[in-house]
Amino acid sequence: MKYCEYCKVYIPDDRENCPLCENKLENIDDDHEQIFPRIPSIYKRNLALKIMSFISIALIVLSFTIYFLFPTDVNWPLLVLFGILSVWLDLFFLIRKKTHLPKKIIWQVFIITGLCILWDIYTGFIGWSIEFVFPIICILAMLVMYILALVLKLSINDYITYILIDILFGIIPVIFISLDLVDIIYPSIISVTISIISLAAIFIFEGKNIIYELNKRMHI
Amino acid sequence: MKEKKNENLNWIKLDNASKIFPATYTNRDTKVFRISVELNDYVDKEILQASIDGAVEYFPIFNYVLRRGVFWYYFEHSNLKPKVEIESIPLCYPLYDKEKKNLLYRVSYFNKRINLEVFHALTDGAGVVWFMETIVHFYLTKKYKDDFSGKNLKLRHKAAISQMMDDSFAKYYSREKISQDENVKLNKAYQIKGTFTEENITKLIEGTMSTQKIINLSHKYNTTVTIFLTSLLIYSILEDMPYKSKKSPIVVSVPINLRQYFKSYTARNFFSTMNIKYYPTGEDSIEKIVDTVSNSFKSELTKEKLNAHLNKLISIEKNPLTRIVPLPIKDLILKFANRITDRGITYSFSNVGKIELPNEFDPYINKFSICVSARRPQIVMCSYKDRLVICFSSPYKETDIQRTFFTFLTENGIEVEITSNF
Repeated sequence: MKYCEYCKVYIPDDRENCPLCENKLENIDDDHEQIFPRIPSIYKRNLALKIMSFISIALIVLSFTIYFLFPTDVNWPLLVLFGILSVWLDLFFLIRKKTHLPKKIIWQVFIITGLCILWDIYTGFIGWSIEFVFPIICILAMLVMYILALVLKLSINDYITYILIDILFGIIPVIFISLDLVDIIYPSIISVTISIISLAAIFIFEGKNIIYELNKRMHI
Repeated sequence: MKEKKNENLNWIKLDNASKIFPATYTNRDTKVFRISVELNDYVDKEILQASIDGAVEYFPIFNYVLRRGVFWYYFEHSNLKPKVEIESIPLCYPLYDKEKKNLLYRVSYFNKRINLEVFHALTDGAGVVWFMETIVHFYLTKKYKDDFSGKNLKLRHKAAISQMMDDSFAKYYSREKISQDENVKLNKAYQIKGTFTEENITKLIEGTMSTQKIINLSHKYNTTVTIFLTSLLIYSILEDMPYKSKKSPIVVSVPINLRQYFKSYTARNFFSTMNIKYYPTGEDSIEKIVDTVSNSFKSELTKEKLNAHLNKLISIEKNPLTRIVPLPIKDLILKFANRITDRGITYSFSNVGKIELPNEFDPYINKFSICVSARRPQIVMCSYKDRLVICFSSPYKETDIQRTFFTFLTENGIEVEITSNF
């Protein structure tokens, strides 16, 4: 036990100074014990993130410098800038959504298809984004979710909402085919087929769960 | 089979008081509070783990995790089990993470102390005391089996499990018309300022003293412990207050446990708050403050007032317009409303009251203490037998109010033991 002459209080801890007035403490007896653990700083600055932001900025600046020294017809440094920004946007969502994997996958589907369509439009709309990327991403996401669910033994309620969103998204290429927006129709057809079959399966086997999830998430 | 039986409890709505916590928690004010028990011997990790597992079975609410719906938050049943660990993270470290499905409480230990930390949306002080009493009961009867053999120490069940899961706010809502005088104008109260601690860790100053001596001192001022200590707090704030601020009132927010007024046995949140206001006059003796505070307590603690307050809060929640606002917007509105209410409050003072356990456990327990994370300085106090513990938690480094408070007690012949996490 220790004693503070100024505050007239007893301190059972093994500290040097009074917590109230910061004055030196007086020893009464040697019976003192640590009451609270000393906790090391847990605030970590992410070094990887710092290195990545540095490299990104350096790359952008360098590409503009090279462009000014050796001009070309195409303004390619702008593409580098947008490319790096796209990667960052995607990474931001990948890191931010911490653990819930199915949700993370859905965000990736939205971001990657969105960015690809933008890129496609910017570079003259050749159609590769909706011809290949859109349907393939949908199929991939569905497969990854099935596999994750099996491997991680997720309960159906954990991913049913997300897989449902992905399935509905995967049916959209039917519009591309009917509006004649795509030349190569195979990826789109596969995506639509798989989506409709999965939708049927989910409604037939898990209909009750879908209603339960909707009730839970939408209660007012 | 078991799953089937509980299907209607797989998810539950939040009660009225809980709704504010997930909307307004921040890294500084985590809305986590802690109850600790200091034993007379070192804690045994395995026995503690077994005691928690046993106790949780009586408190189903602790098996729920918090999720976000489109319009409201909800609790979802979870099969996660708590894992006892040695204390290695800061006091009242965040528990709720909207991206994770994790339990809303944690149990840790350090030397002779067991800590139970809980996210406030789950339950309030009374609920957590009850849970802790059960944990301690299991722990002591397991660890000191031989000492207790022959003695028939049964866990006292205060209520049926279904009663403990009650949403008492919804139960005691009476749809009465709200009288006009409930709508008090919010004045700006004096705000304590200071330097924030590093990494936003709550600074805790814990004072331990004799319950009987505090009761005697309160009687000397012809009042109760809660009123006396609230007055002493106001007195200490006044001492610390710069002269130019002496126009604004000191407002102490005091939570009220509604169980005693409404016959509820819920283990979930069931509390309300009242504001005790004091206008500095220039000559503020402790006697004068006690007078004002005790009049405020008398006028605020009537069943009519509590009823009116309760009905007002719930009528907002039941309003169809409120209900169809999407959750992210609700969160923003609540954050804003919370900030405005905050401006009207200087300090918080919460007396959780007596913690009771069978007398046979006496030789093994030193004291109980309760503290909270703090966006503004707060006091939480509780007592166990003759050990009364007053916990000041604060986001600031300064300890002037705490020093005035405790030295007043030591000058009046009360021995005070001080500990701190800084």
